[in-house]
Amino acid sequence: MSAATYTISRSTPVSRAAAVAGLILCLFLAAAPWWAGRADLRLMSEIFLYLSLASLWNLLAGYAGLVSVGQQAFVGFGGYMLFAFTMFLGVSPLLAIPIAGVLGAVVALPVAILIFRLRGAYFAIGTWVIAEVFRLVFAQVSDLGGGSGTSLPIDVVKSIAASRSARESTSYWLALGIAVLVIAVAFLFLRSRQGLALTAIRDNELAAKSLGIDIWKTKLVVYIVTAALTAATGALIFLQKLRISPDAAFSVNDWTAFVIFIVVIGGIGTLEGPIIGTIIFFALRETLADLGTIYLLVLGLVAIVVMLRAPKGLWGMLRAKVGIEFFPLARRVVKPSETQDGRHGK
Amino acid sequence: MTLFDSKNQISRRKLLAGAAVGLAAPAILYRTRAYAANPVIKVGHVSPKTGPLAGFGEADEYVIAQIQRLFNAGLQNNGKTYTIEIITKDSQSNPNRAAEVAAELILGEEVDILVGDSTPDTTNPVADQAEVNEVPCITTNCPWQPYFFGRNGDPAKGFEYTYHFFWGLEDVIAAFLDLWGSSGADKKIAGLFPNDADGNAWGDPKLGLPPALAKAGYTLTDPGRYQPLSDDFTSQISAFKEAGCEIVTGNMIPPDFANFWSQAAQQGFKPKVVTIGKALLFPSVIESLGDRGDGLSSEIWWTPNHPFPSSLTGESSADLANGYMEATNRPWTQPIGFKHALFEVTADVIRRTADLDDPQSILEAIRTTDLTTVVGPVNWAVGPVKNVTKTPLVAGQWQKQGDKFELVVTANKHAPEIPTTGEFKLLS
Repeated sequence: MSAATYTISRSTPVSRAAAVAGLILCLFLAAAPWWAGRADLRLMSEIFLYLSLASLWNLLAGYAGLVSVGQQAFVGFGGYMLFAFTMFLGVSPLLAIPIAGVLGAVVALPVAILIFRLRGAYFAIGTWVIAEVFRLVFAQVSDLGGGSGTSLPIDVVKSIAASRSARESTSYWLALGIAVLVIAVAFLFLRSRQGLALTAIRDNELAAKSLGIDIWKTKLVVYIVTAALTAATGALIFLQKLRISPDAAFSVNDWTAFVIFIVVIGGIGTLEGPIIGTIIFFALRETLADLGTIYLLVLGLVAIVVMLRAPKGLWGMLRAKVGIEFFPLARRVVKPSETQDGRHGK
Repeated sequence: MTLFDSKNQISRRKLLAGAAVGLAAPAILYRTRAYAANPVIKVGHVSPKTGPLAGFGEADEYVIAQIQRLFNAGLQNNGKTYTIEIITKDSQSNPNRAAEVAAELILGEEVDILVGDSTPDTTNPVADQAEVNEVPCITTNCPWQPYFFGRNGDPAKGFEYTYHFFWGLEDVIAAFLDLWGSSGADKKIAGLFPNDADGNAWGDPKLGLPPALAKAGYTLTDPGRYQPLSDDFTSQISAFKEAGCEIVTGNMIPPDFANFWSQAAQQGFKPKVVTIGKALLFPSVIESLGDRGDGLSSEIWWTPNHPFPSSLTGESSADLANGYMEATNRPWTQPIGFKHALFEVTADVIRRTADLDDPQSILEAIRTTDLTTVVGPVNWAVGPVKNVTKTPLVAGQWQKQGDKFELVVTANKHAPEIPTTGEFKLLS
């Protein structure tokens, strides 16, 4: 047979079914304000916000190999931009969120130029140092409460919508929207030419370089896109919290340690991993958080066990066994006679 | 329907939805129970039980169990008996978590009244959630300025749903001046204020300690706000030595104070009086300083010698402290009184509310509170600003008696109803 009769397939029956089910589920979730209670809406919003943080960190660490422990810099920056723009310039919170995203990208550029000079463990520590610098800088801005922090004026919150239920629905849709946006951006990015370069870098940086991929530029694009979306997510997070202080905004535990836990548990370097990880994290938190320090001990134990038993995370283990993929990212060579089942043609 | 018909395929989305529904199920169960035949009033409580502020929540378990036993018998309201359920949540000393659990209590448990205590990191996020979600809220155990101005409060407008009782900076300044005035130390003061909610309020050039000290004829050496969890106080110590300070004051967290105090010893800075807010509240901290803990002084908000009995149990402050010490084998701490008082006020409000189904009616009952609790009178008709009322404050010193440290009240000029229990001694 000549090579021309072979085709390349990316989707599989499972992934096509997942796409349809995913679309239906998105619509179902978008209708949540009509079927879920207020507490459920709030919890689901938080789940979506963590899901987007985890997906973004996964893109950064799992694909671009940029293991950052300083993403709280952009979460906090986004939160502070929301407060600054709404309180001092009277911008609507809904508009302040994309503004926070754009400004996140703007500050990410000089930060990237600085820390991309570092590699491996030095890069990780560098990102943390940058986040601490952000925290200390915002602690000096007395108009934003300095080290004490400040609350979002009630009028600003009420400007989103007049009625309480409309406000709650809006903030829920924003959280769902950002999670869908982040996953869509990650998916489309990975399927693009840039994404192919990224996957090559993930698998072997030296080989990728020898094939002529501009590693520095590819990583820079990922870093800046991630920073922008992380800042927008941060603005949304603090729109829910209503109060910001440097320690809360730049908390390494809340915005990086838990996020790394989610990604590592779920499966780093896959789009499905952060979703599984987020579900596990919230299932643990909702059942165990009242136990105080025991809760944190359990989290640590789970992380250790998963890292030892399933180093590629739960999704990685499942995929190795069953071979399914909901997000069609891999390419498969398909023989003309075998167009229906792409799974074994890999 | 479409979501459930294709049973052999588990999509990630379905898993997500399943998990979300599973997580939400408890909330739905609670909601139906709230309208059961036996009327239940739910009180949500948020405080730090783990993390750096855990000292404030140390007595939670004991105090809340005691109150819950009383509440199980029910409270009378308009001739009807209501069961009161307290649901307490841990803020983990983290303002993010405090906001989250407050929202869970409001939205998930649908509490009728939200209460919270201990430091602005707890009271402020809890009160903010209550204000936006329109739930009556009572907080305590945080000076009122960081609570009120820290939340962008406007004295002309105040807040609608959130009320607070504690003392303020003016009280702590007055109590400290009273303490120092009789000490005989030189009027040269060293100020240590961190860049956090309390430190900024205490060191504020308009509303904090600096103008009050100047007015009382003291000279203050203030080297500026330091970053909390500093490990080096050399520059501050040398500035204090140069200015010849004999009194040290400020508001610190215990690890910062321990650092400062051991470095002061190493560098030969020997003040005669050390009066620090927040750091020196707990016996465990003083004991950890060893002999260097003897003679340190602090503000005192509650002691077993406070002359007010509990409006809920009738027991005296001493009974309350002894009960705790017997049950836990630990020394008493000041938050015990305020935790107890918080639920005294809550019970009183529930008894007096005209219509417990109406938050506005609960707010009316809060506004018209006039109750003497174990920490003193609580009455929102009298207060420095709307939403705030003050309880009495004195000052005193940790003194080693035998092999144990006792907190002795030595200055009570502004709250003479609270007896002094000893004489102030200068540090050797």
